[in-house]
Amino acid sequence: MNNVAISAASDLAPQAVTYGSSAIVALQSGAALPSQFLTFMLSEEQYAIGILHIKEIIEYGSLATVPMMPPCVRGVINLRGAVVPVLDLSARFGRAPSVIGKRSCIVIVEVAGGEDEDKQVLGMLVDAVNAVVEIAASDIEPAPTFGTHIRPDFIAGIGKFNGRFVILLDIEYVLSSEEIIELARGSVATHLS
Amino acid sequence: MSETQAEQGSASQLALSGELTIYHAAEVKQQVLAALRTGPVLELDLSGVTEIDTAGLQVLMLAKQTAQAEQRELRLVQHSTPVVEVFQMLDLGAFFGDALLIHA
Amino acid sequence: MNLDEALQTFITESRELLEEMENALLNVDLAGDQSEAINAIFRAAHTIKGSAGLFSLDHIVAFTHVVESLLDGVRDGTVSLNDEMIVLLLSCCDYLSELTDALAAGRLEADPDMAPQGEMLLAQLRRHIEGGAEESSEAALVLPPEPGVERIDQEPGHSDYWHISLRFGREVLQNGMDPIAFLRYLTKLGRIVGIATVPDAMPPADEMDAELCYLGFEIAFDSNADRDAIAGVFEFVQDDAEIRIIPPHSKVSHYVDLIRALPEQGARLGEILVRCGSVTAHELAGALQQQSERSEAEVPQQLGSILVDGGNVPPVVVEAALAKQKQVSEQKAQESRSIRVDSDKLDRLIDLVGELIIAGARTSMVGQHLQNSELQECTSALSGLVEEVRDAALELRMVKIGATFNRFQRVVHDVARELGKDIGLIVDGEDTELDKTVVEKIGDPLLHLVRNAMDHGIEAAGQRLANGKPAKGMIKLNAFHESGSIVIQVSDDGGGLRKDKILAKAIERGLIDPERKLSDSEIYNLIFEAGFSTAEKITNLSGRGVGMDVVKRNIQALRGSVDISSDEGKGTTVTVRLPLTLAIIDGFLVQVGSSVFVIPLDMIEECIEYATEPGQDYCNLRGQVLPFVRLRELFRLGGAPTRRESIVVLKLGNQRAGLVVDTLLGEFQTVIKPLSPLFSEVRCISGSTILGSGEVALILDVAALMHSVSGKGKVVLAA
Repeated sequence: MNNVAISAASDLAPQAVTYGSSAIVALQSGAALPSQFLTFMLSEEQYAIGILHIKEIIEYGSLATVPMMPPCVRGVINLRGAVVPVLDLSARFGRAPSVIGKRSCIVIVEVAGGEDEDKQVLGMLVDAVNAVVEIAASDIEPAPTFGTHIRPDFIAGIGKFNGRFVILLDIEYVLSSEEIIELARGSVATHLS
Repeated sequence: MSETQAEQGSASQLALSGELTIYHAAEVKQQVLAALRTGPVLELDLSGVTEIDTAGLQVLMLAKQTAQAEQRELRLVQHSTPVVEVFQMLDLGAFFGDALLIHA
Repeated sequence: MNLDEALQTFITESRELLEEMENALLNVDLAGDQSEAINAIFRAAHTIKGSAGLFSLDHIVAFTHVVESLLDGVRDGTVSLNDEMIVLLLSCCDYLSELTDALAAGRLEADPDMAPQGEMLLAQLRRHIEGGAEESSEAALVLPPEPGVERIDQEPGHSDYWHISLRFGREVLQNGMDPIAFLRYLTKLGRIVGIATVPDAMPPADEMDAELCYLGFEIAFDSNADRDAIAGVFEFVQDDAEIRIIPPHSKVSHYVDLIRALPEQGARLGEILVRCGSVTAHELAGALQQQSERSEAEVPQQLGSILVDGGNVPPVVVEAALAKQKQVSEQKAQESRSIRVDSDKLDRLIDLVGELIIAGARTSMVGQHLQNSELQECTSALSGLVEEVRDAALELRMVKIGATFNRFQRVVHDVARELGKDIGLIVDGEDTELDKTVVEKIGDPLLHLVRNAMDHGIEAAGQRLANGKPAKGMIKLNAFHESGSIVIQVSDDGGGLRKDKILAKAIERGLIDPERKLSDSEIYNLIFEAGFSTAEKITNLSGRGVGMDVVKRNIQALRGSVDISSDEGKGTTVTVRLPLTLAIIDGFLVQVGSSVFVIPLDMIEECIEYATEPGQDYCNLRGQVLPFVRLRELFRLGGAPTRRESIVVLKLGNQRAGLVVDTLLGEFQTVIKPLSPLFSEVRCISGSTILGSGEVALILDVAALMHSVSGKGKVVLAA
């Protein structure tokens, strides 16, 4: 198990850069912008998310499927006594569900819930986890309006490191309960009809 | 307070008139009891009663109780207005068991 | 709603403060420096007043305010403290204690029964404030103060009238007084509703002295005058008579005391009191029966047996009285001993118990695996103890729904006034217990349902009368347990739901396909759809169209369900079904493919081995038709069924359905882990749990499953 050490984010001079909506909010509120990112693989493509939300990373283990749910909800796992839902990011992006491989992991994140809800703990299924890297704000560019395979609102920005481009994901959108519940509603209805 | 007594058939009759109050209570008591004991039934005519107080009421009640104890019958008739008023205020209709004629 | 908890805190704090006040009063040194004691007393009263204000307990605020004023006067020296005042203040303490007890018993409004006592105390307080020391001349006219807090026959009598008991002294006539004249004077203050003349003291004719008074009177008196005024009527005969005055709505025990105090025979007195209407035979019989069973230091009362044996009271009345006594003593026991516990600590305890159960299950598994008989014995004993700890811990979390229901009395009262309708509330099943978290969260949805029923259900009085209904509308709250759930019903005897209007509105809003044929139940349930409201006039309370769907969502968030049924013209009933506890479950494990599921044990009637033919949807169970559903199919689990399947026969209410599974795995008790809201759409799953092996198993929602079965399968009625 890799443990991610979460260190204090360093101060950045505010710059006029366009990030995803949540980043803009963070900028406006004066919160420190994430500069450390966890990079991971989803079917040959590299993605990253800010480490602020990440709690831990675990190996893929026994997972119980929940019937009638859409493909992006893989099932639930036992995380030290808590039952945590696991999302299949590939399926979430509209592609085929991930194939479990040797390096498949579950990244446990904590996201803010809806208006009345508490924070939620969720797991994201990824094909492989790479490393935690530092990406300066100056190396982040706004999301392109076209050309990426995934929905623009899932993208917080495009980061550049080591000469390569990495898609920075907007976690709040990707793991949005509202949307997923909407999907579930449709999925359940299809199931029962 | 004056009483007039008569006998009619099997019922003795006694008419009371004047003030049935403490001033005459002892006297009335004697007379009513005597009349009561003359026969099985005593009819007590109250049309002449101009005033009645607690003492007077007591006498009537005593008479009723005595009648019951001695297996006689006491009937009160022709209740005057003051008597009706007191009987109604104290809800004594049931105690005496007579028909109360309520004057309009 | 945290009102209950906050109120409980207020009650406990008030009791503590009153104790402080009492101690300070008892210990104040009249000769020495009183300032500290006075300050303590003042602080206590002031704090109670403030807190009571927060809860809008006006009657307490009003009373404490006057007490505070007196204490203020003492503090700044305008009033000097003396013995009498201390006694008065102690009585005030007692009175406040009684008010607090009434609160604890669920009565948030002023108790009219206590008002006269309060009035008397307030009058005395005011007199002291004005500087006059009053010699209590009421002593002769007032009933002796109640010994502490008498819980028995706590119900106020039904009499709206004063009761005046008069026994004139023998010499009263000779002293120039005429009792009848006094009674006439009394009628100036009010109306004599019932009167019994008591000539019992009259001796036989020959002994009777016509100039002595042998009469007494028992009077039921309707008047707005206060006790002083009524007592004042008899001022001049005070010395010549025994006068007892009982205020309206007094406890029946007062009448019992009266009977004891009077010279005549008990049964006779009972008769008299009943005849003049001050008590009913029932009340008196009940009170007397209770007293006779208590046999305190008092002479054992034969009053009760006299009344009953005398055939005056039908046995059924005595039974009712006994039942009442039992209820009262139960209530007493419940209130007596409690401690305040931080609910977080309680939750932590439940969590730990849950972990204990899981650990115990694992240990048992290991024991079985190792086939060590001594170990297995130990784990068996361990499991038994863990089960007991579990039950005891869960008990801590269970609270009666009565407290929640009783709050609605106030709500119904206020809302009815707002709406200008006459609506009453009947409450049933107050003793039904449920998990405290559920109780807290069910308050708001229930509130909305009640308000909705009052606003839209109950018609205006005119319309009700036109339809042959009583002008007063009725809302009924009912709660009971049914197969592992708690059921709460909100009913009204209003106009019912209009199917045609609902259907029309739903079609207009595009909620349903106009071609679809819907059952009555489905039509009624449309009102739970978002954005739905057929209220013609949007009132202040509800009808904004956000109500019912929010209610349904809140209830579903508790893993409950809500259903609505109606009789047009007669009324509507909303039925809410909730799990008894959100914490721990006795379950039965089944397996389909590689998935393990848990079925609540109390929903299972039996399990049978059965091989199903494809295409068959029902089987014959001892002559009865049993529809079933294949879990594999329902959940699209894929794979092929095993050759030897099993059917788990589920029972909900009087419905039966079968669940076809691959394997039966056995009983299993464990902690329910709530599922993330992500899964809220999957109705057939109500939660999850962790098995001894560490795997996650999903808990089936039997009600939802049955629902889907009845929707799909063909139900053939048995011949």
